[in-house]
Order: sequence, then C-alpha cells, then structure tokens
Amino acid sequence: MAFVAQLQIADLTIAIFFLGLYGAMTQRNIIKTIISVGIMDIGAISFFMLANHEPGAKPPVIPTPPEIMADPVPQALMITAIVIGVSVIAMCLAMYMRVAYRYGTADWNILIRRLEK
Amino acid sequence: MATSIPLHFLVLLPVGVGAVGYFLPRRWYHLVLLVMNLAILGLSIATFIEVRWGAQIIQHVAGWPDWIAIKLVADKYSAPLVVLTTIFFAGTFVFSTRADYTDKTFLFLFVMLESALIGVFLSGDIFNIYVLIELGMIAIAILIMYKQDKQSVYDAMLYLMMNFIAMAFMLLGIGYLYRITGVLDLEALVARLPLLDNPRAVIVPYALIMTAIALKSALFPLFSWLPRAHGAPSAPGIVSAVLSGVQVKAGVYLLVRLSAVFSPVIDATAFFMVLGFVTSVVGFLLAIAQKDIKLILAYHTVSQVGLIVMGLNLGSDVAFWGAMYHIINHALFKGLLFLTAGVIIEEYGSRSYAEIRGVLRKMPAIGIGTLAGILGITGAPFFNGSISKYFIQQGLQGDFGGIAMFLINLGTTLSFVKYSLILFGKPSIATDRPLRRDPWVAGVSLVFGIACLAGGLLGGPTVALVYGPQYSAGGALSVEKITTFVATLAIAVALYMLVVRRIGGFLAAIRQFKFNFNQVTVFLTLFFVALLGYTWWVGG
Repeated sequence: MAFVAQLQIADLTIAIFFLGLYGAMTQRNIIKTIISVGIMDIGAISFFMLANHEPGAKPPVIPTPPEIMADPVPQALMITAIVIGVSVIAMCLAMYMRVAYRYGTADWNILIRRLEK
Repeated sequence: MATSIPLHFLVLLPVGVGAVGYFLPRRWYHLVLLVMNLAILGLSIATFIEVRWGAQIIQHVAGWPDWIAIKLVADKYSAPLVVLTTIFFAGTFVFSTRADYTDKTFLFLFVMLESALIGVFLSGDIFNIYVLIELGMIAIAILIMYKQDKQSVYDAMLYLMMNFIAMAFMLLGIGYLYRITGVLDLEALVARLPLLDNPRAVIVPYALIMTAIALKSALFPLFSWLPRAHGAPSAPGIVSAVLSGVQVKAGVYLLVRLSAVFSPVIDATAFFMVLGFVTSVVGFLLAIAQKDIKLILAYHTVSQVGLIVMGLNLGSDVAFWGAMYHIINHALFKGLLFLTAGVIIEEYGSRSYAEIRGVLRKMPAIGIGTLAGILGITGAPFFNGSISKYFIQQGLQGDFGGIAMFLINLGTTLSFVKYSLILFGKPSIATDRPLRRDPWVAGVSLVFGIACLAGGLLGGPTVALVYGPQYSAGGALSVEKITTFVATLAIAVALYMLVVRRIGGFLAAIRQFKFNFNQVTVFLTLFFVALLGYTWWVGG
C-alpha cells in the first residue's frame, strides 16, 4: 500500500482525465460522450492548476507576501482554458440538439446508419 | 529589436476590422474586409522581406521581459506561411466578390479563422498556440455546417469533438511540460529541456502534445475528421480551399516547430517518416474509392500531407526544404482545385464525378484552372509539384525509397485520372442555359493556375527566394523524369480502365464504411500509446 500513500492530488486529476477518455471510448450515448469529453478537459485543467503547487501556498492576491504566493501563471492561463472548454461543450450540446431533432437518436451507432438515408 | 513591423497587427487586424465593421451593409463589409486583406498582405510581405534578408523578428507583447511575455516570432519557417495565408485569404475574398453565399456572420467567422491561423504561425508560446488552435477550431466548426444541409451538422459535431479531445491531450501535455520546466515559451523550452536531470520525464508530455498535433495534421489513423471537414457538402468552395490549403498546414508547421523544440531530448523522426508514408498510401487508396469530387480532393489532401510529413522527417536537407516547398505548392494547387470544384458543383448541381462532363468546353477558365491544378498535383513536368516531389525524392535512399515515391505518384495520378474525367467529353447539362459569367472567379482561378506553372518553371529559384537554400531543380526536367511521368500516367490510365472500373462494388463498400466517434477515440488513444511506447523504446 505504499504506492497508494504516495499518491497526490495531481495523480488524481490524471486519473480523472483518463476516466473521461474511457468514457469517450466506450459510451455510445452522445450526451454521455460529451460529458466524458468535458471531464477530460476538467482533468487537464485541474492538473495544470496543481502544477508547481506547494502545500500552504496562498492565493496570489496583493496583500499576500510573494514568498508564500501560489504560482499565478497556471491560474491566469486556466481561466482562458475554462472559458474555451465551456464554450466548446455548449456548442457540442447545441449541435447535438440539431442532430437529435433531425435523426431522432442519441446513439452514435444508430446515427451513423441513419445518415446515409 | 531594430525593426518596426508590429507583428500583433497581423494577428489582430483581421478580427478587429471584422468586429468593428460588422454594422456596415453586407456589400460594404465585404469591400472593407477585402481592402483589409490587401493591406495585411502587404504587411506580411514586408515582414517576409525583413525576415528573409534581415533578421528574425521577435516581439514581446505588452513589453514584458523575455520568457515571461507572450511572444510573437516571425522567422524563416513562419514568415512564408503567413504570406501564404494572407495571399489565400485575399484571393478567396476576390474570388467571392459576386458570391451570394457569404453573409456577414460568415465573413466574420472567416476573418476570425484568418486571425487564428496567422496567430498559430507567429506565436512563440505554446499555450498561446493552444488557445489560437481552439479559436480556429470553433470558427471552422461553424463554417463547415453553415448551410446546415444534409449531414453537415453531424460532420461539424464529429470534427469539433474529436479536435476537442485532441486539444485536451495537448492541454494536459502543456501542463506536464510546465510542471517539469516552469516555462511555456518555446525558446525557453529549448534552453531548459536539455538541463533536466531525467530527460525521460519529457516523454509523456511529448507524446500527449504530439498526439494532438498528429490529429491536427491528419496523420494515419487520425485523419477521419479531415474529409468530413474539408469535403463537407454544405461548406462553400472558399472554406474548403482555405482549410485544405492553409489550415491543415498549421498542423504540419507545428509538427516541425515542436519536433525542433523537443529534438535535443527526443528523436521520433523515423516514427513520423513511416507514418507519413502510410498516411500517403491510405489517403490515395481512399481517394480512389470516392465518387464525390470534393471528397476525392479531401482524401487527396490526406495523401499529400503524408508525403509532406515523410519529406520533413527523412533527415536530409534537400527533402526537408522540398517538403517545405511542397507545403506552398500543395496549398496553391489544392486551393485552386477546391475553388474550381465549388464552382463546378454549383453550376452542374451535382457532386458525383460520374455526372459531370465537359467542364473544359462549358467553362474554359475554370477548366483550365482545374487542369493546371491536376498537372501540378500529379507532378507533371514544368509544374510546381514536380519540383518539390523531385527534392523529396532526392532525400530518399535505396530501392525502397524509389519504390515508395513511385507508389505515391502512381496513386496520385490514378485518382486524378478519375478526377480529370469531369473535364472532357460533352457537357452533361444543357448548354443553352445562360451561364453566369463571373470574371473574379475566372481571374483568381487563372492566377492560381499560372502560379502553379510558375512555381514549376522557376522551382529552384523559388525555393532559394522563399527559404534560402540553393538547390538545382534541373534534374526534375531530365529525360528520365519525363519518361517516368509519362509511364506513370500510362500505367495509371491502364489501371483505371482495367481494375478500378471493374471493382465498383468493393469501392462502394469502402465508401460506405465509416468509423463512429468511439472507434475514432480508440484510435487516438492507441496512437498515444504507440507514440509513448516508441519514444520510451528509442530514448534509452
């Protein structure tokens, strides 16, 4: 069990990423794959946030002395990544609505068969 | 920084003008964007001249110090591609002067894509590249489903989700890289990566990022999004032309750029060389099976990108610059073919190559343009494709290389023998119908066609002018080369007559066969695992 004791939160985020990837590989339901892709994105973002994190670091806001500040770069960058992720997921869902109205299915396999007609 | 050319103008001008001028009436908006494109073309040429005969331009946005600031870099790799992009967009704007499919939202998304592409080429910061790729991806997804007919929404959704997964891989890889090195600037990464205690730590981020880039540049087996996006039935010709001409090159460009960043610690050129060859072969095999003329061209892009990636990773200078030249050449002739294909489809009301005949007689300018594009792509003597293919071939050693190149050429010629059938014969639609004569369309087609010819006649000097290295292209016009081309053409025609036309059922089966989203994701994961395993095995 020494292996488990050594695990950090950053390892957990990687597990979340690959969990999302597993979902995208196995789920036939379109909504579930969109959720899985979202989970992957969240995993990657959380991993980035935890890069160079040290225990006890404070948020990088002005009153905090620079010695105990957390690294501000990931936080600044991940706001962008979160916004992009949200908008792409929203677009995927909007497109899914179109597809669902048109073909009447939420299953990738059935969808691909109905496309040709 | 002696120069005064502001690089951020190149990135911000298209989308800025597009946003500010949005309130104008459509016709004016188009005109304003056209003028903006011509201005930016001038600016990019000035940048290119400065970079080519001066020094590379580096600009730190907002005046932050090096390694912290977001950096824009114009060097000998990126400056020609920026010029190519601006030429392309200016050309498509002239091309669509009288078009009725461009409304204001469409035009705005189109210039947004232009900004994103120029930004990807100029950016010297890996996170910035990530953001700009995502921006371009969203614009493309809307552009390819713009008319929302047939299955275009499905195509766009598949495109968006696959690319988003790849981008999540890239984001995780960037995060990993930041954790190891603490920098995101490409130059800083070059400086810091060799200093790592354990170079093997870079393998995982390398594999993550390169998987995303391989999907972007449509390498085997990750190309299934490309024909859907580039050959989308609802996308106008100008979108397909820009996607196939420039956008897919952004992936190839990043492959070059990031491979160079990682090259001190990881060398996967053999992997990408083999992959390029496989991509090329699979691409033309699938192109032969298609009926839809746009899909023939789209699968052909896959094949040519494979050839470019193979050339870039051969490890020989001649082949490298040949492949860089092939990027420009492919943009010219494939852009031309997609533009003319869009016009042909509109005129004939059909997308099937079997129903279109007599383009040369009915629309001479479009027909000649298409013919120039076909001659360019098949590597006919005197056309630009022959020069870059000749350079790539020089980098190949031994019998295997010769056979590989011959195979790719044969496949290309074979699929374009099929494509060129639309040019000849009696026009398959009534000729008495009044033809819409559009001088802008004809003019741009002919200019691109002439560029294909000029790039062939002046092949060696063009490479020297654009990139610098001096190579003689005289061998591309030797009797041996011309004989080979004629023989290839003869074999291709014979194969088409004797084999391809007899196996229609088999080809239909290939055409119908499509991978669904889950299978594509599995391919992506397998690619990642394979690349990880390969780099682990090589970097001992």
